[in-house]
Amino acid sequence: MSDNLTVVLMACRQAVPDPAVFLGPLEQAGLTARVIAEPCSSKVEVFQMLRTLAAEADLLWVVGCPEPACQLVEGSFRMAKRVGHAQDYLREIGLEPERLGMAQLPAGNQKALDATVDEILARVRKLGDNPARNRASA
Amino acid sequence: MLKKYDRVLLSGCDTCVAECASGGRREVAELAAALQMAFRLAGKEMEIQESSVDRQCVHEFLLDVVEAAQEADAVLSLACGAGVQALAARLPETPVFPALNTLFIGETAERGLWLENCRGCGNCMLGLTGGICPVSRCAKSLMNGPCGGARNGLCEINLAKEIIPEVPCAWLQIYDRLLALGELDRLMELAPPKDWSCGDAAGPRRVLRPDQQA
Repeated sequence: MSDNLTVVLMACRQAVPDPAVFLGPLEQAGLTARVIAEPCSSKVEVFQMLRTLAAEADLLWVVGCPEPACQLVEGSFRMAKRVGHAQDYLREIGLEPERLGMAQLPAGNQKALDATVDEILARVRKLGDNPARNRASA
Repeated sequence: MLKKYDRVLLSGCDTCVAECASGGRREVAELAAALQMAFRLAGKEMEIQESSVDRQCVHEFLLDVVEAAQEADAVLSLACGAGVQALAARLPETPVFPALNTLFIGETAERGLWLENCRGCGNCMLGLTGGICPVSRCAKSLMNGPCGGARNGLCEINLAKEIIPEVPCAWLQIYDRLLALGELDRLMELAPPKDWSCGDAAGPRRVLRPDQQA
């Protein structure tokens, strides 16, 4: 396993106004982390998820608001469907679909945030290096 | 089929297959990333380029993709069958493969649902049947009214298997439509047996328009 695992988060600005809440604990845990701020989690396209896993991420997490709280009404619902579609791709090519995760976080809910960070850390440590990731450009 | 190549060009089409969420530039990007990872998992670093044109079935639109294909060992086209063939005709020295499995001329009925509403069979009946095609939308392609198997407005094929959304009886739809238009008299004339020689039984079909030719 590589000693430098990379986690990328694509996070709705409403759910995660301050990316540091994720970056801090993930980097403290020894990971390379990047948070891509999105106007809404529904703006994340399937091809972006797949490209990110192909190019740089050992683990990718898409973070949106809880479905009833989405300012674009259907945004979190659509995000969940797209994550599912992207996971189907991963399954088909033989890569663990668990390398792509999602969370629907109520903004400002520290307990839910901590639980998500714990889940991300456990997941990336369990899965380790992404064998489909391009290491040449790392 | 692509394994033996080192450089593959993915070519999308931004018209019908983009509308069907299966072959536009977005799907090209998805497939490119997925293929990149799939080959990497198999131990091969594949060079994959992406390209997309507005209409892959029209030769004049193919200039960019033909140029891009000069750097590729093979092309994977996400166009319909017509687009794949048009591109293959422009690339006599490059293998062209279909990425899609083209099924029919469809209508976007709702988000994520496409229906075969035209079979391209020639001698179009839509003018008689209120704009609803009995050839493609009646399971038996009946020409003169329903078969008697309809239940609650639905085609009897719904009884044989679960279809969501259920398939309506096309002839009931035709009747309701003509009733609303006040033109039920259209149904009083018997339609003769259909001449299928204009349809796909005709062999390779073509349309020739001298007024459009150079």
